[in-house]
Amino acid sequence: MSDTKNELKQAFSLKFNIRDAGTLIGLIIIFIVFSLLSPVFFTAPNLINIMQQSAINAIVALGMTLVIISAGIDLSVGPVAALAAVVCASLMVAGVSVPLAVIAALLVGALYGLFNGVLIAYAGLQPFIVTLGSLSLCRAIALIYTGGNPIFGIPSSFRSFINGSVLGIPCPIIIAAVVAIVLYIILTKTPLGEYIFAVGGNEEAARVCGVPVAKTKIAVYVISGVLAAIAALILVGRLGAAEPTLGNLWEMNAIAAAAIGGASLMGGKGSVFGTILGAIILGSLTNGFTLLNIQSFYQLLATGIIIIVAMLVDRATRGK
Amino acid sequence: MFAQLKKKLVFTAIAATFSTCAFAADLPPLNSDTEKDRIDWTQLEAKYGPIPEVKEGIRIGGVSKTLTNEYWRTLGEGYKSFADKYKVFVSYLAAANEEDQIGQLSIAETMITEGYDALLASPQTDANLQAAFDSAKAKGIPFINVNDAVLPVTEYYVGVVQKDNGVRVAKWFIENVPNGGKVAVIEGQPGVYAAKQRTEGFSETIATSDKFELVASVPANWSREQAYNAATNILQRYPDLVGFYVNNDGMALGVVEAVKAANKLDKCYVFGTDGISDAYNSIRQGELTGTVDSFPLLTGEVAMEVALRVVGGQDLPRVVSTPQALITKDNIEKYSTKDVEALRKALTE
Repeated sequence: MSDTKNELKQAFSLKFNIRDAGTLIGLIIIFIVFSLLSPVFFTAPNLINIMQQSAINAIVALGMTLVIISAGIDLSVGPVAALAAVVCASLMVAGVSVPLAVIAALLVGALYGLFNGVLIAYAGLQPFIVTLGSLSLCRAIALIYTGGNPIFGIPSSFRSFINGSVLGIPCPIIIAAVVAIVLYIILTKTPLGEYIFAVGGNEEAARVCGVPVAKTKIAVYVISGVLAAIAALILVGRLGAAEPTLGNLWEMNAIAAAAIGGASLMGGKGSVFGTILGAIILGSLTNGFTLLNIQSFYQLLATGIIIIVAMLVDRATRGK
Repeated sequence: MFAQLKKKLVFTAIAATFSTCAFAADLPPLNSDTEKDRIDWTQLEAKYGPIPEVKEGIRIGGVSKTLTNEYWRTLGEGYKSFADKYKVFVSYLAAANEEDQIGQLSIAETMITEGYDALLASPQTDANLQAAFDSAKAKGIPFINVNDAVLPVTEYYVGVVQKDNGVRVAKWFIENVPNGGKVAVIEGQPGVYAAKQRTEGFSETIATSDKFELVASVPANWSREQAYNAATNILQRYPDLVGFYVNNDGMALGVVEAVKAANKLDKCYVFGTDGISDAYNSIRQGELTGTVDSFPLLTGEVAMEVALRVVGGQDLPRVVSTPQALITKDNIEKYSTKDVEALRKALTE
């Protein structure tokens, strides 16, 4: 049994490499075009800028990737992030120590993910509908909790940690990198990773093989919730305030990054490396178009084209 | 140029390596309506003389709130028309939609990295451009907050006194409706500074007359549809209502439709805020009673003037307040001119 699973996994990872190479080539082409058009684009500070701006979306998108591989979807990431942000900020403002407030935020993300996961895995509801409900529910809690007002006065110790850097690399990038490595290990080196692919590839077959389907599903939504909370913490540190309206459209950007990176909404396909590249592609578009003084309307146009081209490449390289 | 770029690179690399990021709050949080350190736009020339000589190759970055709203597009036209006179390059960009807060932050940060000489930024919220402000400050790039949401730490703010919008409309009611009556306010988004100030300006001023009673004040989140529904409900409950003050023109036009549907256009006055072209058309047709125009084109020009003065080394007050006027069908032709010079004259008379 485990032999077949391993074979399956090998077959997957081989194809992923081809697909990831495609995404990488796409990214390189975009970089070359922008570098030719703007002398500032390919400079160290600007590249760091792009990475930093992509970090938040990358982290959310990595959680989304796991959910998508399991053939689910998480539309509630933005509001979950907002709730985690306002809870964390209000605790910090009330004088709770920074580590405790951070743990509280992660807990909010995990609990909300658990809520989504239980409804999907045990109540048998569709992920799209459950998380669509959560999208409103969680936003409402954040708004009611704050009365609609942003929370200012984030302690500078927290802010200087998030805005600090190690050897010239800003913290958000490092956090995103750590998240990516951890998720890579989970996906490729642990049973949970195998289970996630198995559940997304063929749920019935996975169940017959003895995969704990329900627990696997719950795990991906919990991870997605925690990562949304981590992303929220970075944003709170950068903005110096937590807003209950934070995180609008995060789900769409995350799905876009995962899709460009080769995740299939049918489940069973997706990779950490691909999603990171997808997030950087989206980030470099915003950056490059700003440098070239081109209106954001065209950026949307480019994003749409890139997603569709990525899907066509996907079909061509995977054959089916 | 290249030497400068190289120097900047080295500097940024060094700064980034040893970055510990201090967040010294040297300025108290700004309340743009009540800040004492302020000047009216008409006084700039008199007090600070002509604009300092503008060096060649100056580039100003405009970070817009959204380009899907006429007000913000026109503001950008104001930036450009004034900058053109001084051969200054302007880039005016916005995120894809008004809720993409990270997108707007990215645009501002990219402009700072690219080395624009000053930023004219209209933040989407009171907080979302904080990180850009910090890095602009670290690099010595002036960051000028233009209108609406107020970044509390900002060193320069150019915009209207939001409260005056409501005050002007309340004064109109007190002068023009001698018998008084019931009035209502349709508010913008709860928690947004402009909405709160406009509403307060109206409700505080109308309360000074004992003939008027404020019977309802409800938020409609800047949405024409929500404003329509709210106004319909209010009119049902208070059929003898004499007027609405609405926090922006888009919503006011929704309220006008509700008043029309209730067949009360001749008994119930409706005032908006902003002065968009649809509002002007509606006033001309005798539907909308009036609006408080804050003249985005002229405001854009004033903001650009402030940017050029600051870049030129002048030490301006923290707040520069921009023009506004109550427009009704009696004075609409005077203010509807597309000629900015004529408008400047009309407003300074």
